[in-house]
Amino acid sequence: MNIIVCLKQILDPLIPVRDFRIDPELRAAVQGSASLVTNIFCENALETALQLRERAGGKITVLAFGAPSAEDSLRKALAMKADDAVLVVNDGNVHPDPMAVARVLAAAIRKIGAFDLVMLGRESGDWGAGQTGGLLAEELGVASVSFVDAIEVADGESHLKLHLKRQTDTGWERVAAPTPLVVTVTNDEHNVPRIPKTRDVMMSYRQPLAKWTLDELGIDAAAVRAGGDYYRVVDLSIPVRETKCELVSGDSLEDKVSDLAARILQVTRAM
Amino acid sequence: MDHSEATREVLWNIGNVWLMYLMFAVSAGVAAYGLYIRIARWRRGREAVRFDRPAERLRLLLRHAAAQGRTVRERQAAIFHTFIYTGFIILTIATTVVLIEHDFGIPVMRGAFYLYFQSFIVDVFGALVLVGVLIAAVRRLFVKPKKLVYTDEALWILTAIFAIAVTGFLIEGWRIAATRDPWGSWSPLGYMVAQISSSVMSEGAMRTAHLIGWWTHAALVFGFIAWAPYTKMAHVVFGPLNIYTASLEPIGAALRPIDFEKAEVLGVKALSGFTWKDLADFDACTECGRCTSVCPANTVGKTLSPRDLILDLRALLHRAPIKRNANGADGGASEDVFDLPIVGVVESASPESLWACTTCAACVEACPVFIEQMPKIVDLRRYLVMEEADFPDTMQEAVTSLESRGHPFRGATASRVDWADGLNVKTINEARDAEVLLWVGCGGALIERNQKVVRATAQLLEKAGVRFAILGREEKCTGDPARRIGNEFLFEMLAKENAERLNNYGVKKIVTSCPHCFNTFRNEYPQFGGSYEVYHHSEYLARLVDEGRIRPVTADERSITFHDPCYLGRHNGVFDAPRKLVQIASRRGVVEMEQSRATSFCCGGGGGMSFIEEPKDKRVNQERARQILATGADLVAVGCPFCLTMLEDGVNARRGERDVRVMDVAEILWQSMNSENTEQTKDYGTNGKKPGD
Ligand code: SF4
Ligand code: SF4
Repeated sequence: MNIIVCLKQILDPLIPVRDFRIDPELRAAVQGSASLVTNIFCENALETALQLRERAGGKITVLAFGAPSAEDSLRKALAMKADDAVLVVNDGNVHPDPMAVARVLAAAIRKIGAFDLVMLGRESGDWGAGQTGGLLAEELGVASVSFVDAIEVADGESHLKLHLKRQTDTGWERVAAPTPLVVTVTNDEHNVPRIPKTRDVMMSYRQPLAKWTLDELGIDAAAVRAGGDYYRVVDLSIPVRETKCELVSGDSLEDKVSDLAARILQVTRAM
Repeated sequence: MDHSEATREVLWNIGNVWLMYLMFAVSAGVAAYGLYIRIARWRRGREAVRFDRPAERLRLLLRHAAAQGRTVRERQAAIFHTFIYTGFIILTIATTVVLIEHDFGIPVMRGAFYLYFQSFIVDVFGALVLVGVLIAAVRRLFVKPKKLVYTDEALWILTAIFAIAVTGFLIEGWRIAATRDPWGSWSPLGYMVAQISSSVMSEGAMRTAHLIGWWTHAALVFGFIAWAPYTKMAHVVFGPLNIYTASLEPIGAALRPIDFEKAEVLGVKALSGFTWKDLADFDACTECGRCTSVCPANTVGKTLSPRDLILDLRALLHRAPIKRNANGADGGASEDVFDLPIVGVVESASPESLWACTTCAACVEACPVFIEQMPKIVDLRRYLVMEEADFPDTMQEAVTSLESRGHPFRGATASRVDWADGLNVKTINEARDAEVLLWVGCGGALIERNQKVVRATAQLLEKAGVRFAILGREEKCTGDPARRIGNEFLFEMLAKENAERLNNYGVKKIVTSCPHCFNTFRNEYPQFGGSYEVYHHSEYLARLVDEGRIRPVTADERSITFHDPCYLGRHNGVFDAPRKLVQIASRRGVVEMEQSRATSFCCGGGGGMSFIEEPKDKRVNQERARQILATGADLVAVGCPFCLTMLEDGVNARRGERDVRVMDVAEILWQSMNSENTEQTKDYGTNGKKPGD
């Protein structure tokens, strides 16, 4: 089975609240001293892929579209024992919209070659749009299943080769699907990303890693560099939470209660 | 009588003396072979430099082998071991005297020396050996301390020594009686035997008994010499050798770097991963069990036992051939035991045990023959972590967080500079001329309770007029938890990165309130390009007090005990500075716990154990809390962010018994500067300007 796992490098979501800043001009988070990490759902996807390969054999290619630093995410994936890695270097807008990303990924996947399964995280921990998976399937012209947490390869000759378990609001569903297929993966106790062995981490730095430019992919590179036109972030701000403390007054308990009631009325009316 | 004529006939009554020489030759040969095969196995180990600095080594040898420095720390053992040990030495000297007299023909066994030494002193020390053996036997058979290993071998050794001593006195007595030795009364025990024997035996009977007794004694002695190297008695040779070749560095410097370019296996997978010194350690073990009896993990009922680890590895070593097994490499019939994976084969090296070690090094400190148990545990952890990626989940989280965020506390909500809110603390980037770098540490910066400690320290430094600065957001974990957990690779990366940053800022002097950071900077960074003058905050503050730059004005009325952080005390020998701070800040001085200073008991937080949830009924911090409560103190002073957290949890869990507060020495000192100085124990505002903003 040929599996392609797409990985996104994002700003560490566990950054201390007080270190989190926004650049109002760029309408984007400021990295500051925070680190960059692989989006957790992408790692869940990779872990699911690694387990699938252990059972069904095949090859895993990891693919990222991002800044040169995204190489770290790919190296880590290699350390976790992915077979090949491809980085499409983003030299344009740091936060292209999901459609632009899907176009880039689709072009890169076509360039990588035949595949049975493309796996992505269900959404990214920075913007949380959750759109890239579906759009990518559209671009590639194949079916997609979202919120998957387990995949099995069916025995026998059925064309519905993959049996998938997907999480829903009320529980879970089991579906069967043909290949090629795009799935987005969500987290589950069984796909907690493995810790790579140090030996493999060391080896990962010696493994080849393909770096492609946008211009090599045969797409409208200029549109991607501009960030796409699928949607636009109009405003971005950190919610300000205000807490005020007022003391209820009154001599007797009754006075206090009626004062409290009056204040509650006041506040709710104002809202 | 003229004392100068005193002597006796050597080998009186003994014919066929050649037989004795033959027995001696055979026994020496067998013994030598016993020593040889052990040493030959060590030679299969990796390199270690342990014969440098002979003067220091000799001093160590005198103090701990000759003077039994550590052995005598324990009362029972001190008595019986001193008796047997000194007796052996005196008797060996006496035998050598006989050899010089008889075989070299030099008349030394004469006169006053013969009477005082060769007769009287030898008899007395022979008697002490008997007493020593009896005490040891009573201890083994009736007292039964938990720390001992109960083997038949140990009992046979005692029996053999006992028999040798008894036969020695019997033949001495029979000789005195049969020869009517005029100097006989100089050997009190032999004389006693002579008196009794001559009243019940004829002279002829005594001659015969002497002859038989003499050969029995000889057979026992030579048999014992031949057998000893194959038993734990080998410690007579290997103990002193092990002390001579012990590490001369502080315990805190015990872990070795790995050459990642060359290492075939990361960490120790099999015996072949150990150095010859590690292997020699196994053979030197006396089975005394002190290491296990002081091990905090073992004390609270966990499976870890450093003694068993050493003994099991010794047993494994003894199964290994002395040369590489030719079949082994290509998977032939008999695999070389030297290559057998230790974890999984050796019972006491189970992951459960290995992941219970706090790296407190109480074991290392307790061992009378200077065996280094703790670094071996870390060596085995290294293999599990780096080659197998097999370690507890919560530790994995800490390691992952270290990798991506530079601190081990996943989910920490504070930033590196929140603690300094409202204080005038500058980053080194803003204050390039700072004389001291205050290294805050992850615990100090990110754990709320510990922020108050750093705050107190910073305020004290400011008050003393010290020009100091912090790295602020640029600070990253020193790598200590990564190293103790066994991820040497990550440690090396962090160490190099930090050292480079500190060097770029031209940092010379570092003060830190975390003993783990302190130890890492002081003992470990020099190997990675970072050499600094490093002080624990207690040392630095004590100096400021000495110089009169800090003047405490009020004295704490409470009764205070002090908990020695392992990485400050035992690992680096800093015991007095923190005590001094308590002393000057309190009216009543320090109440010591039952275990303190070098033999202090761990809080349970070192070695990555802070990142593991211990079973409720087996918590090291609760045992330490028990010791704290037993002192009756109202306050326990600490000098480490991990100790602070662990001990607060520990005493809180025992809150029903009595309320005890836990405070860092810096907080206590700060409070004593001014009775108003309780600011740091209150919550502080969050609007102040932070350094680096
Ligand atoms: S270092 Fe401490 S916890 Fe580890 S084995 Fe030795 S005594 Fe036990
Ligand atoms: S390792 Fe040292 S302390 Fe432990 S049992 Fe052996 S000799 Fe005793």
